[in-house]
Amino acid sequence: MPCEHLIIQAYDGIVLAQITKPRLLEAPVINAIGAELLLLPERHMKISLILDMEMVEYLSSAMLGKMVAIYKGVKLSKGRMALGGVKASMMPLFKTTQLDKLMEFFPTSKDAIMFYKRKPL
Amino acid sequence: MKELLISADVAPPLVGTVIHDVRVPSRLDLKPELIDTLVELLVGAGQINEDERQWLVLVLDEAVVNAMLHGNEGDPRLDIHVRLATQPDGWSLQIDDQGHGFSADAIPNIDDPESLLLEHGRGIRLMREWLDSLTYHRGGASILMRRRRCTPGGDSHAV
Repeated sequence: MPCEHLIIQAYDGIVLAQITKPRLLEAPVINAIGAELLLLPERHMKISLILDMEMVEYLSSAMLGKMVAIYKGVKLSKGRMALGGVKASMMPLFKTTQLDKLMEFFPTSKDAIMFYKRKPL
Repeated sequence: MKELLISADVAPPLVGTVIHDVRVPSRLDLKPELIDTLVELLVGAGQINEDERQWLVLVLDEAVVNAMLHGNEGDPRLDIHVRLATQPDGWSLQIDDQGHGFSADAIPNIDDPESLLLEHGRGIRLMREWLDSLTYHRGGASILMRRRRCTPGGDSHAV
């Protein structure tokens, strides 16, 4: 059964995963989102994955850890991963944990899509 | 970043007025209500403004999860003891679990590039980023956090 906290669309080799749950704090939510997203690099070699974070208001270190796991899966498939629409108030979480050095960030998912379209893998 | 302090001693007494003192079984389904209560108490006391709510929720979530899952190993027969105190210029929160504590060596150094791809070990770093003081006592089975009161404009002032 698809994860109820995600809307996933794929086109032109780009996969956009919109997270629709504002609070990413509870283990069942984090695990459900993680399980679904971890399948994507297995289904799409050289995936260009964009996580749309616009609706996310709270996240925990457990969710950050899950993002790292997804990132590793994407890299194994020779793909790339970006985050779009991360709220400005949330960026310090990524900077403090050095994840801003690992992943690509764009103001919106649309910006990420345009960037990936201009530079296909 | 400074070395994390983990003392074998009990935590020093909370400073100020204790406004919440509760024992909660180590059940994660009880976590949201506990966190919401603490947040509303601090917002209601004017200690936290809306801009800080996001960080406060994150810090409380990390501390409660650590106490329930790592300290008490998720055993619902074991409680965590939560005490919140406020004073005019700041607040303190102490959470005690019934576990055996932990070693600072168990916490990865995420400044090390080789640790960047680890899927755990970022919670304490996040807590230390926002809090003014974070110390562990009783070998790690007791956490004491402090933060200065916010100012109406959104910034915080020193305790």
